Amino acid sequence: MSVSAGDNIKLDWERQEDPQRLAAFEARIDAGELVEADDWMPQNYRVGMLRMAEHHANSEIVGALPEGEWITRAPSLKRKLALIAKVQDEVGHGQMLYRVSQDLGKPRDAMLRDLCTGRTKYHNVFNYPAPTWADVAMIQWLVDGAAIMNQKSLADGSYGPYVRTMRRINMEEAFHFKSGEDMVLTLMSGTPRQRRDTQAAFDRWWMPCLMFFGPPDKDSTKTSPFMTWRIKTLTNDTLRQRFVDRFAPAAIDLGLEIKTKQRDASGAIVSDDLVPDELIVHDEASGHYGFTQPDWDEFNRVIRGNGPLNRERVGLRRFSYEQGAWVRRAVLGQTCGLPLAN
Amino acid sequence: MPDELGQHRAALTELLLSIADDKLMLGHRNADWTGLAPILEEDIAFSALAQDDIAHAGALFDLLADWNDDDANRLAFGRQPDEYRCAALVTLSDEFDWAVALVRQFCCDHFDQLRLARLAASSLQPLADLAARMAREEALGVGHADQWIVRLSGATAEARQRVESALRIVLPLTPGLFEEPAGVAELEACGLYPGSTDQMHGQWCEMVSNVLEHAGLPATLPPRSGEAGGRRGRHPAEFPGLLDEMCEVYRSEPQAQW
Repeated sequence: MSVSAGDNIKLDWERQEDPQRLAAFEARIDAGELVEADDWMPQNYRVGMLRMAEHHANSEIVGALPEGEWITRAPSLKRKLALIAKVQDEVGHGQMLYRVSQDLGKPRDAMLRDLCTGRTKYHNVFNYPAPTWADVAMIQWLVDGAAIMNQKSLADGSYGPYVRTMRRINMEEAFHFKSGEDMVLTLMSGTPRQRRDTQAAFDRWWMPCLMFFGPPDKDSTKTSPFMTWRIKTLTNDTLRQRFVDRFAPAAIDLGLEIKTKQRDASGAIVSDDLVPDELIVHDEASGHYGFTQPDWDEFNRVIRGNGPLNRERVGLRRFSYEQGAWVRRAVLGQTCGLPLAN
Repeated sequence: MPDELGQHRAALTELLLSIADDKLMLGHRNADWTGLAPILEEDIAFSALAQDDIAHAGALFDLLADWNDDDANRLAFGRQPDEYRCAALVTLSDEFDWAVALVRQFCCDHFDQLRLARLAASSLQPLADLAARMAREEALGVGHADQWIVRLSGATAEARQRVESALRIVLPLTPGLFEEPAGVAELEACGLYPGSTDQMHGQWCEMVSNVLEHAGLPATLPPRSGEAGGRRGRHPAEFPGLLDEMCEVYRSEPQAQW
């Protein structure tokens, strides 16, 4: 029994494409044309686009989990309704993105199984815990804010189905962001305990949000061909700086303090205790805010599966997949199952 | 509340609380599937059902808050367990068995459709208008549940068994839906809530057994019961625990804005 249809979907930079077709393809990209599902495309473009769309789809449905667990405890009718609608949107985004990915050559169920078995990844940021209601507010404001920043750049990409999906997702994300902003503002205008919880939640999410955009450009191996083909349109560092320029002043305005891990004189991290980030200063000359880089060792630990909640998130997806298997067997005639958990 | 209804205030409040509490709790339970349903499309559908139910509850709480100088969020999150008027079925945990969730929805939606139709014929126009609007949305939920019951029962032996065992769990709790809220007879007599529980129970049995028979499922439905339960504030032992979770953040600072 095959557990993955993705075995032959690999990047292969040795592959020789027909030079004329490749030149014509790249000319279309340079002219700003959109590539459609049935157009000719280099195999590595197809694989790169599929990986990105699949990772994005996975992130939407795993991203539903940290907020989803707060639906039962939402403290007002308005927030409860808004949170269900928000998480429902994330699942809807996942569904749209799996459809985009399916057209690129991988069946939906293979993608869901690969997610459950850890063969494919989802966004790192969802491996962090959301222990208080203020974390829900912070995810909707800060994490969704980071996602919008990233997705706006992806909406300028070259693959038509993904670009159109991104435009629609961005419209919905703008609502989530507004709702998150309203929640953070309400909490920061509230009781001392609400303000304390909100600062603590901000402390938990600021650094994961800096990591959200991926490793520094100098360490990133796959940026360049994907930039040429406009699968990506901006580098990780450019997006990260945009995020800081947008959110550092907004956080300060709300009365939040931006912190970072304690470092020694050489810049090495000496403790997980947080101290005010003294580099958060607006530089008139460049027009940018400074900031201290997040802990990239932590980033590497989390992407390798050793973050705070990697096992729980994948475990819950797996639980859900297994609980619902009988329904898919009944109505989709699906016969594949998951291999035993480790 | 309009002055001429003053004498019916207590009975109307009991009736509307029973509807609002049913919908709040059923929506709360259905939202457990948000992010975790068997198929992405059904994840989205169950979330929509949950939103409809909670929004309906909210509209009724708003009306009650307005009549009784109260607050909708306090009504939803700030009462003691014995002040809630929901039936036991809406708070039944499905233990992440989607067949139980579906059959629970099926029984409750058919019941709600009838209850809302009665309310939509109320002599109190604003209430009738609100109920008519809710009934239109409820019809979507009824259609969704009916289709899935038939579809699953006709698919695989495994799915059929799941639905049958869900029916064995859910059906014995359905008489609790028909327990009458205190004072309902006076509302029936004056036209505020036309019709009767017996009539509604007969219609419900007919509709539910039609679908079950169409699906080839056993369709023996329990009779009405005279037992006092949720409509009198008597709830299953698990109910306070459900409320503790639902109200955890609200209770942490009841005066705060969220």
